[in-house]
Amino acid sequence: MAEPAAQTAFAEEALTHLDTLYRGALRLTHDPDQAQDLVQEAYLRALRYQHSYQQGTNMKAWLFAIMRNLFWDRFKGSRKEDVSLDDVGDFVLYDKLRDEGAKPEADVLDKIAASEVVAAVDKLPPLHREVVLLVDVEGFSYKDAAQTLGVPIGTVMSRLHRARQQLQKSLYDYAVESGIVRPSGQQDQVQP
Amino acid sequence: MRCEECGDKLDRFVDRELTNTEALEIQLHLEGCPDCMEHYEFQEHLKRLVKHSCDCDVAPQAFRDKLRQILS
Repeated sequence: MAEPAAQTAFAEEALTHLDTLYRGALRLTHDPDQAQDLVQEAYLRALRYQHSYQQGTNMKAWLFAIMRNLFWDRFKGSRKEDVSLDDVGDFVLYDKLRDEGAKPEADVLDKIAASEVVAAVDKLPPLHREVVLLVDVEGFSYKDAAQTLGVPIGTVMSRLHRARQQLQKSLYDYAVESGIVRPSGQQDQVQP
Repeated sequence: MRCEECGDKLDRFVDRELTNTEALEIQLHLEGCPDCMEHYEFQEHLKRLVKHSCDCDVAPQAFRDKLRQILS
């Protein structure tokens, strides 16, 4: 066990990453109580195994890895679950909107509510969702994301690409449902 | 650089994952290609939108206090 002062310093540094862990846990579990349980357990485990943390390396990535491993162990049971993502083909929101006469950025992205973006992220399968969380939300490099998830960088890139395509598909569906844009074949595609 | 190559590298450009040389090549192409520039700006905007939509969740103060107590 570390000296009390060292343990306190470790805990204080670890707590600077609490929001990242909580956000990640919340997006993975969809439940604030489960997210808090998961994060608390992750911190306790981190404290127990702090000797395995190498000073000067990425503590945020190390903590996130502990948290997401606990998630897969406790909440999903098996890592083999839910690994697939429906193939949406080469769906790209930008191209789709351009084809339909919209100005993708001004006409659509500016009108999509944050809650709808979160809902689209939440609909991603967990293995793809966590890559979006790490790279897009928390700003991890591909390398750090790969180390955190225990996969090759190529897997991070492919999961990220498919996740973004699925996200764009969900946002397009929302834009059509909410009347922000009309689907192909209708005139006056973009609502004023 | 052709538009197709630019499109293939756009994800990594947006994620700041290209080498300086590759990034400069993309930058030069974007400056001379309005279509690719518009696509790039859309991808950047989408990435920002995902970040800003998801990072407003923060740990409740009571939970933060509880954790600090447990860990001390």
